[in-house]
Amino acid sequence: MIETIRIGHLLRETATSPYRHLVTRPTGAAVRHSIEVALSRSDCLTALLDFSDIELLDFSCAEEIVAKLLLAQAAQRPRFVVLRGLRDDQHDAIEQVLTHHRLAVAAMVADGEPVLLGFVSGDARAAFACVCRLGRACAADVAQALDWPEARATEALESLTHHRLVRPEGDLRYPLLVA
Amino acid sequence: MTRVIEVPAHFDDRSFDQFAGDFGAWPPEEKLLVDARGAQWASPYGLIALLTAGQAVAEAGLERPLLTVPNSDEVKRYWARIGFFRHAAELFELHGRVPKAAATGPSDVLLDVTPVRAMEDVHQVVEKISETASRILHGELGLERNATMRFSMALSESCQNIVEHAGTSGWVAVQVYTFRRRLGRRVAVIAVSDAGIGFRRSLESTHAKRFGERWGDGAALEAALIQGVSRFRDPGRGQGLAGIKGFLDRWKGKISIRSGTARLAIVPMWDDDVPLADHLPFFPGAQVQITIPATQEVESR
Repeated sequence: MIETIRIGHLLRETATSPYRHLVTRPTGAAVRHSIEVALSRSDCLTALLDFSDIELLDFSCAEEIVAKLLLAQAAQRPRFVVLRGLRDDQHDAIEQVLTHHRLAVAAMVADGEPVLLGFVSGDARAAFACVCRLGRACAADVAQALDWPEARATEALESLTHHRLVRPEGDLRYPLLVA
Repeated sequence: MTRVIEVPAHFDDRSFDQFAGDFGAWPPEEKLLVDARGAQWASPYGLIALLTAGQAVAEAGLERPLLTVPNSDEVKRYWARIGFFRHAAELFELHGRVPKAAATGPSDVLLDVTPVRAMEDVHQVVEKISETASRILHGELGLERNATMRFSMALSESCQNIVEHAGTSGWVAVQVYTFRRRLGRRVAVIAVSDAGIGFRRSLESTHAKRFGERWGDGAALEAALIQGVSRFRDPGRGQGLAGIKGFLDRWKGKISIRSGTARLAIVPMWDDDVPLADHLPFFPGAQVQITIPATQEVESR
């Protein structure tokens, strides 16, 4: 199950202001708190955070919302988190803060292609793209598709699984937005 | 006794040290007369530095300083238009006729002189600038379309630093003008200044020990701007300046931060500033200038 959370809607509810910009730490912290409340009421495995109504996302809000949400999720009931509706400048902000924390998240870009933002090795990025392309894959599938030794594919998939960037079922790994 | 502080004829980040030097020791013991009669031009940095001086004097509980307004009608009109006199009247005893700030048409002022006292002000600054920034940054300076958002991010982070670190309020102004002497191109300039505790005191309790005898204003600026440290123990802090540096690298822009007796800059190829200037005349708080030049393609049109 996927819980879609519209960040623009939360911003308007949380900040009780007409602003479309996610700026300042207190605003980011308040929005993150609202996301956590919404997730605590949901049985979903995956949270889809939709930023498409947001004009500006500064570094402080990227840190407060995305990085701290991922850190909290790791400590609480772990969920998969996917971002949607981000523009280039918002990618930049999230990429920077996640890299700083050695975190990563999956994001859907405009053409629907999933990408990874944050601290991810080149192998993990390649394996992620491969799993998304194949729809599901085990280490042997990835190794064959990328012409890698199986140990290399196994390591890349383990990294993706550890960061909750793919959904594991037995030996198989699924893209996060596949039901 | 009255101490006369002369406002440089061309008042910007370069001539600022001359202005700061006129104050002598802080807090100044004498009544102050800030003499702007000879001013022929002032950058946003210069204007908000003037307000910062007035604010620091007021917060030190000293007698309200005098400010003689520029003789030049053109200069006075500009200072009125950017909102300087409106705020200066609260901090200085103004001498000389001040024109009313008339609404004009399209302007090179992206953001009037604006006080930053709380996070709510940061929201308003970002909201206000988003209305005009695209026309100027893309249309006039030739930056990519989404530069507007990155520019607003830099502005937001710079203003938040006041609220989070200064311990008092501050000022921001944004303008576009031609950098004739150093670059010969149009630039967008974000100027941010506060009268607060400065970088050294802000970082002292958490970072001074690591620097040992080297600790001072210059080392504190280096820790914040180059190493990305913050006074907060939260490991996610300090990324605002890091993000700004990333944008400036892409745009061949410059950031310069002055605090206490030092100034640290990340200097692009087009500028001849020194990276670190130390042992400068003391000035309260912190003053930040971010300079983003027009692309060469736009200038050659």
